[in-house]
Amino acid sequence: MLNTDGTKPIYVQIADWLETEIMNGHFQPDEKVYSQYQLADMYTINPATAAKGLNLLVDENILYKKRGLGMFVTENAKERIIQKRKNQTLKRLIEEVVLEAKRLQMDEMELIDMIKAVQFEGGES
Amino acid sequence: MKVIECTDLTKSYLRKRVLDQLTFSIEENKITGLIGRNGAGKTTLLKIIAGYIKQTSGEMSVFSQKPFNSLLVSAHSIFVDDQMSFPSPLQLHEILDAAGSFYPNWNMPLAKRLFDYFSFDPKHYHNRLSKGKTSTFNSIIGLAARAPLTIFDEPTTGMDAAVRKDFYRALLKDYLAYPRTIILSSHHLEEIEDLLEDVLLLKDGKNHLHVSIEELKEWAIGFKGAEEALMNWTKDTKVYYKNQIGRNTVYAVVKNVFSEQELQQAKAENIEITAVCPSDLCIYLTGETKGGIDDVFVDR
Amino acid sequence: MSLLTVNTAEIVKKQFLFKLKANIDAFSSLVWIQLLAILFSLGGVASQGSHSDGLSISIKYFSSDVVIAFTMIWGLVTAITITTRPYRYFDFSFVTNRITSSLSNIIYLFTASVLGGVTAMLAKGLLIIIGYLFLDFQLLDFYSQSFHVRDFMIGTIAAVLYIFFISSIGYFIGTLVQVSRLFIVGIPVLFIGSMFLDGMMQREPMAMKTLQFYFMETSLFIFIVKVFISTALFFAASISMLNRMEVRK
Repeated sequence: MLNTDGTKPIYVQIADWLETEIMNGHFQPDEKVYSQYQLADMYTINPATAAKGLNLLVDENILYKKRGLGMFVTENAKERIIQKRKNQTLKRLIEEVVLEAKRLQMDEMELIDMIKAVQFEGGES
Repeated sequence: MKVIECTDLTKSYLRKRVLDQLTFSIEENKITGLIGRNGAGKTTLLKIIAGYIKQTSGEMSVFSQKPFNSLLVSAHSIFVDDQMSFPSPLQLHEILDAAGSFYPNWNMPLAKRLFDYFSFDPKHYHNRLSKGKTSTFNSIIGLAARAPLTIFDEPTTGMDAAVRKDFYRALLKDYLAYPRTIILSSHHLEEIEDLLEDVLLLKDGKNHLHVSIEELKEWAIGFKGAEEALMNWTKDTKVYYKNQIGRNTVYAVVKNVFSEQELQQAKAENIEITAVCPSDLCIYLTGETKGGIDDVFVDR
Repeated sequence: MSLLTVNTAEIVKKQFLFKLKANIDAFSSLVWIQLLAILFSLGGVASQGSHSDGLSISIKYFSSDVVIAFTMIWGLVTAITITTRPYRYFDFSFVTNRITSSLSNIIYLFTASVLGGVTAMLAKGLLIIIGYLFLDFQLLDFYSQSFHVRDFMIGTIAAVLYIFFISSIGYFIGTLVQVSRLFIVGIPVLFIGSMFLDGMMQREPMAMKTLQFYFMETSLFIFIVKVFISTALFFAASISMLNRMEVRK
């Protein structure tokens, strides 16, 4: 379930997974998400680690805390997540692609063509 | 609230200092992993906490009491290892009854269900159990007692992989249902790291590192690449391990003092960046500096 | 987590009940030992013969003292056994401190002494029954051999106290051995050595003198006091030594 090869900390993986759930509409704004204990049970991890993942999302304004009641989805969480993934996650991936292309001494046009081809293939299937 | 407070604790046997000015404290209701090499002093420390043995010098305070001969500490703690002994005439179900009579928080339904799940025969005798079964039975007692301070000293000795997995899951589930302070000493950090909140790493009887598992996971970073390229990056930080791979490639484990941008830059210089798992990191941190196992096989 | 108050007396009681169950083999060995003693007793302890014109009388003396003696040895061994490491360690699998451990041991030994003493006294009756049924005892004066409850009570109390006293000595010896293995050799050496010394100095053996102190006491009350104090001293000394001992090393 969890990626244990050490690329991403567990609490980050939990946060990402919750983000994806919110993005896919499984959680609506102002709806309660899983508690640290439920997450701990689901993933067989320490609840403190799960809490760290939840707090990460609170810091990014995707969740808000209601004292004694739990964690809830913020108003524009979905939009915020999409924005973040574009500006951070996707951007980072593109940086890696660009770096690799540079290593392989590909020029800009070749790279863009490759991207277009992949998008096309994706469109077909 | 601090359940355990330890200051300058020293335990010596004849000439050898097994624990050396050890200082740390453990807060309540956390699961702490006690990690270290064989002989680092883990079991000795746990036995002092449990009140079985006395320190040579220094302070040990459990529930604000000195644990040696403290009925309070004994009533609120349980020490589980494979040496846990019970009178031979007692059958397994009688041992469970006895445990239930002593421990106020004992949960008999849980004990019985675990007992049945792991296929124990109530009329069997403790000294006739196999090594793995002994560990499993002792662990059942450790869990069902729900003692405010629960100590497991290498509880999975002899257990097969499936049973180990079940034990960890059972430990987590009961901890979620009934939080308590748990100390888990193990040689298999990679198996338990997700369960832990904190890690206490002992080296030569001293407190080498006491951090959260998350900090430990991000403590060090692995650089792999050409020797010259690595030089720049490793010179300003601590190198915990270095290994030559082939003619040009070097793998080094260093303390992670770098920012995201810096790491990106390193990647741009064709250096491969990998995370260092806590289990490996602890090996490097507690390694002797005499070289590695490969030296044994070098033709002289 | 709030800590519950711990009641020492409660723990001692729980440990005592635990030890009763845990030491069930001690009670079964008591039965065997007493049966063995009875068997020995049936051989008689002394005999006398006498001839006169056409009349020959042979008198054999039977005594249940062997049973009491064997039971005392059993008490000694039981007490020594519970001071050994395996037994001391059992308590630490659960809730204990060294004082509750010893206190529950003492109560256990007292219970064992009561059981041993009572059954030893009853063995006398068993001897008579066996002798009457199988060995052709002629019961002289059967009806005046009436069973005096008072004598039986005093005898039982004495037997129980003797056994308890011996067990306290056993507990003390066992504790010394735990303190240092040297005592395994040291104690017998001390014993035999003192006898040699007595022999050389041509005086009554120390052992005899000590025994006389207890055995020859005529007042039951003073006897109880003597035994009580001596037993308490042995146990107290043992407790203070055991209280500092590390376990599960």
